[in-house]
Amino acid sequence: MKETILSIQSPLGPPIELAQFTWKGSKPKNSVSIVSGIQGNQLNGIYLCSRLIRFLNSVQSGNESGYYLKGAIKIIPTINSPAIFEGKSLWSFHDLDMNLAFPGNEQGEVTEQIAASVCRHTKDTQFGIILQSADLNYNDAPHLTCLNPDGLTKDFTRSLGVQNVREPKDSPAFKLSLHSHWIDEMITSVVLSAGKANHLDITLCEAMLPGLINSLLWVGALGNDNKKLIKYQVKFTKQNKERFISSHAGGFFLPAVTLGSDIKKGQKIGDIFDIHSNATLEPVLAHSSGYLVTLRNHPMIYQKEVLAVLLGNSKFHFWR
Amino acid sequence: MRLKKIDSITARKEDLLQIRTISCYQTPSGQRVEVFKQLFPSSRKRPIKRVAFVSGLHGNELEGIYICHLLTKYLKELQKSQPEAFLGEIHIYPAVNPQATNSATRLWPFLSIDFNRQFGISEGNSLAIKCAEELINNLKASADIVVDFHASNLHLKETPQIRITEGFHKKLIPLAVHCNVNLIWVHPSSAMFKSTLGYNMNQSKVPTLVIETGIALRIDQSSSNRILLGMLNLLYQAGVLVTKTPPPAVDEPIIAHPSQVIPIHSKHAGLFIGHTDIKKNITKGEIIGEVVDAKSGKTLQKITATEDGFLFTIREHPLVYPGALVGRIAKDIMA
Repeated sequence: MKETILSIQSPLGPPIELAQFTWKGSKPKNSVSIVSGIQGNQLNGIYLCSRLIRFLNSVQSGNESGYYLKGAIKIIPTINSPAIFEGKSLWSFHDLDMNLAFPGNEQGEVTEQIAASVCRHTKDTQFGIILQSADLNYNDAPHLTCLNPDGLTKDFTRSLGVQNVREPKDSPAFKLSLHSHWIDEMITSVVLSAGKANHLDITLCEAMLPGLINSLLWVGALGNDNKKLIKYQVKFTKQNKERFISSHAGGFFLPAVTLGSDIKKGQKIGDIFDIHSNATLEPVLAHSSGYLVTLRNHPMIYQKEVLAVLLGNSKFHFWR
Repeated sequence: MRLKKIDSITARKEDLLQIRTISCYQTPSGQRVEVFKQLFPSSRKRPIKRVAFVSGLHGNELEGIYICHLLTKYLKELQKSQPEAFLGEIHIYPAVNPQATNSATRLWPFLSIDFNRQFGISEGNSLAIKCAEELINNLKASADIVVDFHASNLHLKETPQIRITEGFHKKLIPLAVHCNVNLIWVHPSSAMFKSTLGYNMNQSKVPTLVIETGIALRIDQSSSNRILLGMLNLLYQAGVLVTKTPPPAVDEPIIAHPSQVIPIHSKHAGLFIGHTDIKKNITKGEIIGEVVDAKSGKTLQKITATEDGFLFTIREHPLVYPGALVGRIAKDIMA
């Protein structure tokens, strides 16, 4: 069912609306909320939500063989609609990063009202998934982020079909994110990041869809008596095991590696060229081995900018 | 070319003004972007105190940059006429986010990052976090008191005021009263302030006053001159700058605690047309402005003062959505 959970008049055009899609089975306590579009230019999450909505509508109509609705599923696909329709990361009217606006304020400015509405409509959910892409100018190999994951959260991550989980450190800015708010509300939640801003990668999205459907089965929001639940192998990396490779010069950065590959110590990540003469200013080398989870996407770089993030070696957590 | 460079260094030596680079990085074309500070050294071997002035965390807030200009101009003259007046050290950081200032944008261009939300992050890797770390480390190492200038956003005009997070007020109010502002607003602590420069400096026990004045992209000369006098008074009271003639007396500010500040919001979307400017003695019921609908020609809401008091914030951006802040009143405290 589609419903508009928030409608804010605008001075001259159509209202700003927040849409929510819900499905309910016989055990609504098994609940999951999936959201995307906190940043207006992160399109993969919005597309993935649309694929899930299509799939779940089809399940509800009995057109997906073996699948049936069991618990409660909620999808809010276009949170920051003013920024989405502007094609920008932030809505230019306020320049406020929506992921620094949670838990929001029902009486506040538009961005705060939207954040508050998302919090209010997801507060009773058991599990939460935030879909996003890499930060502006970067590209992310699919990975999960979760703060201080407990046993349940770790099990949840194993249902999503993504191999890598990053464990960030808490920070004052992180406290204002939806993920942090959900953790405070005791919602078992993860952030799933894949791809880059301003770009829709259909192949990537289609590859991630089965994992998301599997997570709905794992949560018990969806049922399929003929389908075996998949428990994926997942690698957890704490922030102190992440290795950042930065530029020592400004210029054009042209990568020589593939995102999502294993990089060896000493391997060339790419080159920095002078933007006028095309002279090589710096070959960029990996100082340690690791999995290339984030790679600079925008070729124009400043000195001291992060070019790549490697997830260093840490234990593999197999089935337990 | 070389001769010119030497001249410039000599000139700096003559007026004892020292310029120090805090952080630097190259643009994609290899140009050097420098964040610098101007240092007015003490005439004593051991400075009485060290005071720092910071502006330009948000690139579209220009009033603080202008105040730094006024301060530098005054201090350079004073160095020539009364070098002995400098008992302490003065550090001026006029534009700490130079690229945003050059683009006149609130956010750090290219990165779309709010520089004043990058502090207090222990293990940062982005360029903005590195620059934030370099700035805060430099301030911690070289200042006993910090003043951080802001000029509101594009939407709201503010009377010259100092904002203090509750909890820091006992330490900061005795300093803030010297600054010639109209208002000291002690506001509740909130998670959104915890990544700011001011909060993190105060957490580190370096008293830091956050001044808000005017509106983004504009300079109000009378407010700037007023704050200049306040800063000179602060330097005098702190024993940093002891001139032969003391600076003129400053006005006593109104001190508003959290429960005394009443926000006024628009209930409708439309155009806000203000009927008053910032006003110290607004009375309950007095019209502040109206929200009008351009399509129907109707007035959607007459916005009136909900309390007697000091209307210290007024909306300047005409476009409003429901919930938009149109003003703030510090109630029951008349000037």
